[in-house]
Amino acid sequence: MSTTTNKLRALGVAYLNARPLWESLKDDPRLDLGLARPSELARALAEKEADVGLLPVAAAATMGDLRLLRNMAIGARGKVRSVAIVADRPIHELESIALDLSSRTSVVLARLLLARRKLTPHLFATDPTQAIASVNGRTGALVIGDAALDVETRFSHRLDLAEDWFEWTGLPFVFAAWFARSGAVDAEHEDIFRVAKQKGLSRVDAIAEEHAARSGLDPASLRSYLTESIRYDLGDAELRGLERFWGEAAQAGLLPRATARFDEPPKSSARPSLDTVLSRAADGERLSAAEGERLLREGSFFELGLAADAVRRRKHPKGVVTYIVDRNVNYTNVCTTSCRFCAFYRPVGHPEGYVLTREQLGQKLQEVVDAGGVQILLQGGLNPELPIAWYEDLFRWMKSEYRLGLHALSPEEILHLARLENLSVLQVLERLHAAGLDSVPGGGAEILVDRVRRKIAKAKCTSEEWLGVMRVAHEMGLRSSATMMYGTVDSLEDRIQHLVKIRDLQDETSGFTAFFCWDYQFEKGTHLTPGENGTHLYLRTQAVARLMLDNVDHVGASWVTQGPAVGQVALRFGADDFGSVMFEENVVSSAGTTFGINASKIEGRIRQAGFKPVRRNVRYDWLNEPG
Amino acid sequence: MSESPKLLAIREKVRSGERLTEEDGIALFLEPDLLAVGALANEVREKRHGDRTYFNRNMRVEVTNVCVASCLFCSFAKLEEHMPGAHTMKLEEAWHELEMRMNDPGGPPTEVHVVNGLHPGLPFSYYEELLRGFKRIDPTVHLKCFTGVEIHFFAQHYGMTYEEVLVKLRAAGLESLPGGGAEIFDEDVRHRISPDKATAAEYLEVHRVAHRLGMRTNSTMLYGHIETFAHRVDHILRLRELQDETKGLQAFIPLAFHPDGNGMKNLPAPTAVDDLRTIAVSRLLLDNVDHIKAYWVSLTPDVAQIALRFGADDIDGTIVHETIYKAAGSTSPGALGYEELVRLIREAGRIPVERDTLYNVVREHARAEVPEAALKPRERVRSRLPVLQGKQVPS
Repeated sequence: MSTTTNKLRALGVAYLNARPLWESLKDDPRLDLGLARPSELARALAEKEADVGLLPVAAAATMGDLRLLRNMAIGARGKVRSVAIVADRPIHELESIALDLSSRTSVVLARLLLARRKLTPHLFATDPTQAIASVNGRTGALVIGDAALDVETRFSHRLDLAEDWFEWTGLPFVFAAWFARSGAVDAEHEDIFRVAKQKGLSRVDAIAEEHAARSGLDPASLRSYLTESIRYDLGDAELRGLERFWGEAAQAGLLPRATARFDEPPKSSARPSLDTVLSRAADGERLSAAEGERLLREGSFFELGLAADAVRRRKHPKGVVTYIVDRNVNYTNVCTTSCRFCAFYRPVGHPEGYVLTREQLGQKLQEVVDAGGVQILLQGGLNPELPIAWYEDLFRWMKSEYRLGLHALSPEEILHLARLENLSVLQVLERLHAAGLDSVPGGGAEILVDRVRRKIAKAKCTSEEWLGVMRVAHEMGLRSSATMMYGTVDSLEDRIQHLVKIRDLQDETSGFTAFFCWDYQFEKGTHLTPGENGTHLYLRTQAVARLMLDNVDHVGASWVTQGPAVGQVALRFGADDFGSVMFEENVVSSAGTTFGINASKIEGRIRQAGFKPVRRNVRYDWLNEPG
Repeated sequence: MSESPKLLAIREKVRSGERLTEEDGIALFLEPDLLAVGALANEVREKRHGDRTYFNRNMRVEVTNVCVASCLFCSFAKLEEHMPGAHTMKLEEAWHELEMRMNDPGGPPTEVHVVNGLHPGLPFSYYEELLRGFKRIDPTVHLKCFTGVEIHFFAQHYGMTYEEVLVKLRAAGLESLPGGGAEIFDEDVRHRISPDKATAAEYLEVHRVAHRLGMRTNSTMLYGHIETFAHRVDHILRLRELQDETKGLQAFIPLAFHPDGNGMKNLPAPTAVDDLRTIAVSRLLLDNVDHIKAYWVSLTPDVAQIALRFGADDIDGTIVHETIYKAAGSTSPGALGYEELVRLIREAGRIPVERDTLYNVVREHARAEVPEAALKPRERVRSRLPVLQGKQVPS
């Protein structure tokens, strides 16, 4: 993207139905136009790499506080043809539906329409190319875009989602529109888009022809699709349809509450009070990114705590706080990534580099068994001298010798193995799982915003890669935690983006068991200046995370980083888990001092805070009844 | 959020300025919703002080740990001279402590805080000389020395009345009394944990006399050992009563019991939720005392920072050289730099105000631009935990 100042940065989507809106912007010298997948588009807007984008309405609600450009949208009044559930049997007989996740808006719409019909088929995610192939017997598929047009007549049963929406509400459905960040677009800019839309609509025939040539679809059918099915206006009826959709989705807990807004001088009454946002959050309503930012910036200490505590109480009404007895073993400190916040790693060939031997590991594992531990958290550096076979042997040996859960290898290490062995992430995970891997720790997430990652850990995986590993792991049935390390070069907005990305993936997979956060731990040997931190910020951040992550069951207090005292107070700021009982060598300071607290001390602190302590395993199953 | 009717009633009382009762105090200790109690104390605190949070540039000198008393909670005092670890400073050594600080970059300390064991073998003139020596080094430094228990001991040991002791020491430079030695006033508890030093009545009488002489004092409460919530409330209310009479108390300082190396080492230390609640309840009950202090040495800087939202408006000072809590296993650093205190307060979203001992403003700092998060990078106060290996991840 060009960095020319004052030039508006716009992002369109390469889909056929979007083309009329952006095509003639391509050559406009007043703005920079890029094309992106819808998910990428939302990211770029959120991370301020773009000012305006043709954003699906679900993503717009998730971000919050965006401004619509007037009278331009991609919608349908009645049948849309390109978004449908298809099947060989009537929709109400389906037991499962494969979802093409490329359009979250369509997935949310499908969920609402199914719920309205009181249908509860099992929904599962597939690749866009795989959705149609999944249709079989009592399994249907949600198909989108060209794929949907291509199979328009193939299946005996078809539910056109926009048509069904219209039957339900009598309103048009809006799939996407131009959304701008607040204050980014002025009236002059809007004119550019308006003129582009007019030009684009005058070229729909040509656009249809060109697309027919590329896709092999029938030109006449495409022309009718662009001129009759899709509606490019955003009038009163469309706005009502849009707000109705947002309202239904918010009520169902699928999207944050959103309202359609245009860039006008702000009216104070238009903005809900912080109290309103907080009480909605406490009631379990989904918050937008903009609301999350506001809470993190303006929310008062106690109000955030009380709201997070209310959410914790609703999710965990029995007053139980869990903890796990496990041990963190770092099998090697040899690493190639040289992260600036890390004092632990040693480069390849460094005299202080180590790989633990079986004897060393065996002793550590036996101590865990002896102490009544249930799990090993195994993580290490990216050591190029350890092939996947080394891990497989190790896992098999550990599993056969010690009956301990194996919570091992963060996404970074999985990606490292994939590169080293030239395997896919799926292949790596399948082999490790077969060898004994039970779950994946959520480390290395830091802040899932690439601008931040490039600055603090240049050699590390991108946000997409990190999330991608988790997606694959979750789809295999593995569970993982999610983490956030804030307080380096990240802004408040970055932290919220991080939470939204975790929430989005969780909507897809439900694979995250818990969330932990902590601030960057400055120590000698790291190469980053310590950022803003302090115990207030920790408690506030954890509380906002509890409020944002409405679909993640557990939030853990990171007492290891914050100290047991603050960890205990964190139990009143949304946390329902106290992490793990640590063995002394987990926490080694640069000064050489060690610290550990044992299970009875953890239980004492939990009780003092007014909760019942219960031991758990990695899936947060209780291992004993609360006493 | 559901709130207990008791708490609602107490809130009504607090908001209308009605004095809380003993029963209210106990209810506040028993209230399950810690944050609701904290928020109410915060209301009172902000009504009194807004965001202003006080600290000072002080130093501690503990000239002797030889002590005739045998308090169960004490890991500091050694019973007799010549026992291993027993130590009594020569006057020159004590004065040197201050001399060393006279060229501190931010300026010399504005207060010397002296607390000692009850040494049976020193002449009274030792203490008078001690004070005079400090004043010779710095005539402007404020001398806040000797707890009520020490004053009582001096009176007994040297055959004087409280007034005589205080007048003599004042002539030597004494200006106010620190709050230590209050422990728990309840007679039964006090008899069990510190049987051989000033009784509650005697401690309170020393403060009464000091106030009458125009001196200001602080007071404390040692909590989290064998006392009950009712004992804490009783303790706080006895101070409230004294204050009604004299108006001489400046600050109340709840002190958390630390168990290492003392006669109650089998007891667990109070945890952070208890620390915060005790601060909050103190703020709510003591409607006639200006300041509630979150003593960072006792709480750790991290919990003290949180306490600034639970009713505390003072975080004590730089201190420099604390040995009493250190002996009982406190993990707090021995000193905090001036800038460190300013940051600690700013990170809590408060306005740091440097004060002198009598709460005159020395310097008011700007608040942080972002609420509750200071912008200036800092090295973390390493009070609690050694740093982790770089990739520590809770599971």
